[in-house]
Amino acid sequence: MTELRFLTAGRFYVINRLRMMSRVQAKTDAFRAIADPTRRAILDRLRAGPANAGTLASDFQSSRPAVSRHLRVLREARLVVETRIGRERVYAVNPVSLQSVAGWLEGYRAFWQASLTKLKRNLEAK
Amino acid sequence: MSEIKTGARAVADLVDGCIVACVELATSPERVFLVLASPEIIDWWVNPGVFDTREWTADVRVGGQWRASGIARGLPYALEGKFLEVDPPRRLVQTWHMVGAPSTPSTVTYLLEPITGGTRLTVHHSGIAEPDQRSNIGAGWRTSFDRLSEILSTHRE
Repeated sequence: MTELRFLTAGRFYVINRLRMMSRVQAKTDAFRAIADPTRRAILDRLRAGPANAGTLASDFQSSRPAVSRHLRVLREARLVVETRIGRERVYAVNPVSLQSVAGWLEGYRAFWQASLTKLKRNLEAK
Repeated sequence: MSEIKTGARAVADLVDGCIVACVELATSPERVFLVLASPEIIDWWVNPGVFDTREWTADVRVGGQWRASGIARGLPYALEGKFLEVDPPRRLVQTWHMVGAPSTPSTVTYLLEPITGGTRLTVHHSGIAEPDQRSNIGAGWRTSFDRLSEILSTHRE
């Protein structure tokens, strides 16, 4: 039940972000990708960590081809990135894309990224 | 100290509205704690010409206040908050509030863990209020948040 609430919250959150962005620039691909509940669930699942198509298929009790189709749409919307590790293809949430959707959070993210980079340089300077 | 190679990494969590950032530093937790809770802040909360922290003052104890001020793209800004937990050299928790903003303060938690040859510092910035678009006040502040976001975004690696 908690899990379900979590997924629902995530869904509205992402949709809200997308609506906000749409006024600034068209994100039609991302809209289309997010419109499907299975794809929203896949996205939420990938937020917990990267996975391959087989794992996602068993998690969602879908066929592998169905999951692969959803992953293709998510990839085309640049919400998900694919990495080949040996013969395996692993899927992960594309942080850059989701951050562009949530510009207000991106400022803070970039702040901490830059500040900690500077901190490391300062502390490790000879 | 050669094993400390991991650079800073910060990610945004859209669902929880928080930032998690991590960096490994080739220095002791005691030294790192000092840099988080002293005027040394102004040496690293900064991006010259874009976002400059000029002043930082604090009463570093539970319930004590901190305040930072500076210039962001030519305009003054101030941040302030209070310390919720002060546990050197392991943990520092403080609230963070943009002075004048109607939002509730967010919370910054620093966790320091000793690792071989140094310290792993994790920052958790949570409760970052989303600008309220339903009210006129919110609309005004939305612009300010956009501006803040834009200012902060210029800090790219």
